[in-house]
Amino acid sequence: MKKSGNFVWLAMAAGMFVVLSAPVSGYAAQAAQTGETLYKNNCSMCHGDSMEGNPPAIPSLVGVTQRLSSQQITDRVHHGGGAMPAFTQLTDAQIAEIQRYLASSAPPSAPAAPAAPAAPPASPAPSTDSAALVQAGSSLFQQNCSFCHGRDAGGGETGPDLTRSKLVASDSGGDKISQVVRNGRPDKGMPSFNFSDQDLAGLVAFIHSQAAKASAQQGSRRGVDVSDLQTGNVEAGKAYFNGAGKCSTCHSPTGDLAGVASRYEGLHLEEQMLYPHDAKSKVTVTLPSGQTVTGTLAYLDEFTVGLRDSTGTYRSWSIPTVKYSVDAPVEAHADQLSKYTDDDIHNLMAYLQTLR
Amino acid sequence: MKFSKTALLLAFAAATAVLVSPHPLNAQDKTVDAPELLHPSADSWPIYHGDYSGKRHSPLTQITPQNVHRLGLAWAFQTDQGASIKSTPIVANGILYFTVPDNVWAVDVRSGHRIWHYQYHPNKGLHIGQRGVSIYRDWLYFLTPDAHLISLNAKDGSVRWDVVVADVTKGYWTTMSPMIIGNHVIVGVSGDFDNLTGFLRSVDAETGKTQWQWNATPPVGTPDSTTGGMTWMTGTYDPELNMLYWGTGNPTPVLNGKPRPGLDPYTCSIVALNPDTGKLVWSFSASPHDTHDWDAVETPVLVDRDFHGQPRKMLMQTSRNGYFYVLDRTNGKSLLSTTFGPVNWSLGLDNQGRPIPNTEKEPAPDGRLIAPDEGGLTNYRSPSFDPKTGLFVVDARPSYGIYFAKPADGTFGWAGADYGVWSKGVIEAIDYHTGKIRWKHEVGQHGSGAGVLTTDSGVTFTGDADGNILALSTADGKTLWHAGTGSPMQSSPISIEIDGRQYVITGSGGVLFAWALPDAAGESAATTRQGN
Repeated sequence: MKKSGNFVWLAMAAGMFVVLSAPVSGYAAQAAQTGETLYKNNCSMCHGDSMEGNPPAIPSLVGVTQRLSSQQITDRVHHGGGAMPAFTQLTDAQIAEIQRYLASSAPPSAPAAPAAPAAPPASPAPSTDSAALVQAGSSLFQQNCSFCHGRDAGGGETGPDLTRSKLVASDSGGDKISQVVRNGRPDKGMPSFNFSDQDLAGLVAFIHSQAAKASAQQGSRRGVDVSDLQTGNVEAGKAYFNGAGKCSTCHSPTGDLAGVASRYEGLHLEEQMLYPHDAKSKVTVTLPSGQTVTGTLAYLDEFTVGLRDSTGTYRSWSIPTVKYSVDAPVEAHADQLSKYTDDDIHNLMAYLQTLR
Repeated sequence: MKFSKTALLLAFAAATAVLVSPHPLNAQDKTVDAPELLHPSADSWPIYHGDYSGKRHSPLTQITPQNVHRLGLAWAFQTDQGASIKSTPIVANGILYFTVPDNVWAVDVRSGHRIWHYQYHPNKGLHIGQRGVSIYRDWLYFLTPDAHLISLNAKDGSVRWDVVVADVTKGYWTTMSPMIIGNHVIVGVSGDFDNLTGFLRSVDAETGKTQWQWNATPPVGTPDSTTGGMTWMTGTYDPELNMLYWGTGNPTPVLNGKPRPGLDPYTCSIVALNPDTGKLVWSFSASPHDTHDWDAVETPVLVDRDFHGQPRKMLMQTSRNGYFYVLDRTNGKSLLSTTFGPVNWSLGLDNQGRPIPNTEKEPAPDGRLIAPDEGGLTNYRSPSFDPKTGLFVVDARPSYGIYFAKPADGTFGWAGADYGVWSKGVIEAIDYHTGKIRWKHEVGQHGSGAGVLTTDSGVTFTGDADGNILALSTADGKTLWHAGTGSPMQSSPISIEIDGRQYVITGSGGVLFAWALPDAAGESAATTRQGN
């Protein structure tokens, strides 16, 4: 959503006027006002004027102070995470003011489910009705979890598929899920959340309902987990790397591949290993004058050859008018495809995964 | 719309001129029914493959290897839609009909201007592609993403009737161009993200009532039995044998073969049916017990000529799994089975000419490297058989993919995951006696996706991966002409001749292009002036 600068300024001015004219006195009013201004200047462009976010891409901040500790919020603002940039320029005091503003928005109880037609209204009292529980959990999940775990709990860019999680499968009435949600998994990038028991029950119900739905009906393509790709033998992979695979002709575990397993993992690493689609080729074009031009191959069909030279300039020629030669080391990857056994691939993966 | 008196008078004068012209420019009132469908005239392309044989070979000879370098744009038609054109246009009585999902256009072949546009309502079916309409008399037949068959008035695009072919909520959708045989409108279905029965249905051309239905697989839930076998590409027909030939899609669950032991009939098969009853005459399993999504729906091309010295009624298919098959189409017996590119998943052939799948190459938890990949060594874009050279010309796509499946992936729908690793496009000319490849023409990384048309003068039209339309010499595969269109062709070219001018029509992205020789344009313009 795009807004004109004028509109934002007017909205801010209106907001300030309301705050200033409200019957609140002293420091609290000023702080809230400053927190609101800071929020509008730093946070609202993504999280929205009403903190509603845009799940699953951008989480809602409604009630966030009930779910995350003050320290967690401060850390997240300072260091960023996921798609969120780090706001290093904000001082701890300023972040505290933003938090006060966020807290002023916190709802007294679990946020109501989005108004879906025919959906029962979320009950403010602890509910035992499972459909209502799932519905409330769904709303909470969209706001807090879908950013990483996907809107349907089927996994996202940074969070695993919960519908196929062993932990979810072994969870009974929230005994395992609640622990992970409350304590987080700091080593894997999952924050801890301070949900109420009622909220947690809703989340647990929603996750289980998604898992049941997935096992019953989901016919779409499934995924590959890092743990699936651990069947190879490191020593055999190393021998293949240096021997039959001829990988060492171009690559070195201490050179270009140093730390490769930290840059890529799982399926992504395997795909890069089999054929790195972003690899660049060099091309040398010889003009009728005898002059040669060298650069990165940018285009090639039967009729035209194009390159980017060292200054980044694109140049192209009609093929009948020039001679050209392409140096494409990546073609060795294509040639290898007909030579691999599946064991070779698994062993090579095992070896590459040691290069952290 | 308001016309000035002058415009009306001019229009009247022009119409009168045409009426009194001693040489009518074309037969305006040709009825598209059995005679025309059995023997299409040069100015029409009345069914998906041009004729019932599926050869995609045009008898036209105005454009030749010698003059094709002067080919130019006659017109371009903008759909103004995001969807790529995957349809083959049909042409009847000077009007071209083509589609993208939810949309049909009628276009004047002479000028490329729109006559009418029909738009179906928004719906939840899968909008993966639409392959074209078919025509019978004054009526068009159009399948929608939510599996409705709609009969439109060819004159103005108004709806005559709308019948449901399959239940979209169960996971069916439809894309194919219906096949007309007599008063049968034969429609196939898609849907392999769910465990569903594939079927072929014949509908009465006038009323839309079901005449027969042939099920490719048993009802969902039959123990130890497969589902699937979708019927999403237009088949071919031999009027002498009165046999309808059709390719069927992959079994489901797609990548997990354990719940469906054995051959999985009649999935990934070529089947011969009686078009009047829907009864199966014979079947040939192109991919026995498929676990790689290799639908055998590629055109079953019908060719009558010698095979190793003996006259034969043959059926040829370059199958998505990498095999080129030549069958005796009277009985479905194999004459030749051979690969036409990298294939690493079979242990050879059984005594009926069917590949024996290597169980080691079924999708596994830690992955299996497979050639070809899911997209296949070829796919739905049409190949062409050139009678002069005896070459079967196909857009091939050598490729590798990795296939995964584990118990946690279940037994429903895809039941696994697979990823393309590497691929390229190669136009191949196959000698049907031996399967040997006479010439190859590389068309770029990841494959081109273009279909193939051969013409009687020895020109092959196709496209490359970068969006060039190519004219190749059918004899040796050398490039004769090209034009950049900005997007790779995702459909198959056609050719027709109107007013003495041969057009080649191709679609790229959301634009339909008509190509012709400039000289022919001059002659055509002169004819028109004389008429006035």
